[in-house]
Amino acid sequence: MKGIIFALLGGSFITLQGVVNARISQDIGVFQAITITQLTGFILAFSIFAVVRDGHYSDLQKVKWPYLFGGAFGLLIIFNEVTAIQTIGVTLTISVLLIAQIVMAFIVDATGLFGLRKLKLHGWQFVGIGMMILGVIIIQL
Amino acid sequence: MVLGIILAAVAGAFVSIQTVFNNKVNEKTGSWLTTSLVLSMGFIFALVASILMGEFNASQLLQMESWYWLGGVTGVGVVFCLVQAIRRLGPTYSIAIVLTAQLGTALIWDSLGLLGLEKIPFSFNKLVGIIIIIGGVIVFKYKSGYVDEKST
Repeated sequence: MKGIIFALLGGSFITLQGVVNARISQDIGVFQAITITQLTGFILAFSIFAVVRDGHYSDLQKVKWPYLFGGAFGLLIIFNEVTAIQTIGVTLTISVLLIAQIVMAFIVDATGLFGLRKLKLHGWQFVGIGMMILGVIIIQL
Repeated sequence: MVLGIILAAVAGAFVSIQTVFNNKVNEKTGSWLTTSLVLSMGFIFALVASILMGEFNASQLLQMESWYWLGGVTGVGVVFCLVQAIRRLGPTYSIAIVLTAQLGTALIWDSLGLLGLEKIPFSFNKLVGIIIIIGGVIVFKYKSGYVDEKST
């Protein structure tokens, strides 16, 4: 039961993150909004890290350096998300974003990009993608 | 309309790429150090972008509504809740619930126009569309396996 509550809250937070950034952007501009939300998120995450100490800085030397910059994509992601929310609304933005996310994860898995294990393709996955796209078309009818 | 859809699609594709990058870091260290690193990178790049775009204005930041400073809490909430949910339910079951909550929250938000965003009235086809998307995700996740595993 606790797991289900965390999953529900987690999903709501994902949408809320886009909405909050869109709201703050209206007032101070999208780049400043992203700067502020990333900074306060960092301060909170780092404070939790300082208490739980679930890793050591030297761990980061074991990571191939380009992967350390994953967070930089946040700028592009939030900028696009905020602009989309302002033009097509939250429901359509989140629906399209989600499907592109699943399809991209599928491409990465199916091709074994970034040295990940290759995923087996099967017909059901194409049925699933077809249904998701159908859903988006129905939403904007 | 088309531009909005393209922007959202590009964002979604990069969410998956970012997830791969973050997981590579998370394989070597804990989730809070990973989250701190990810958000610090996001902050640095956003700060540079806001200066380059001529948007940065320190006095405006000091005068803005104080709740904006809480904006980053949502990002940390995502990480914390997802880690807890996946630990208790496993990834597949968690993702189905997360997506449902994500789309449900979006629909509620548009319908009520909360936080001063433009209100987009609720319509029955939106609910049907969301249910079909969730169904599609469940079908998609059904029976997935790796190439190097023996088929059963």
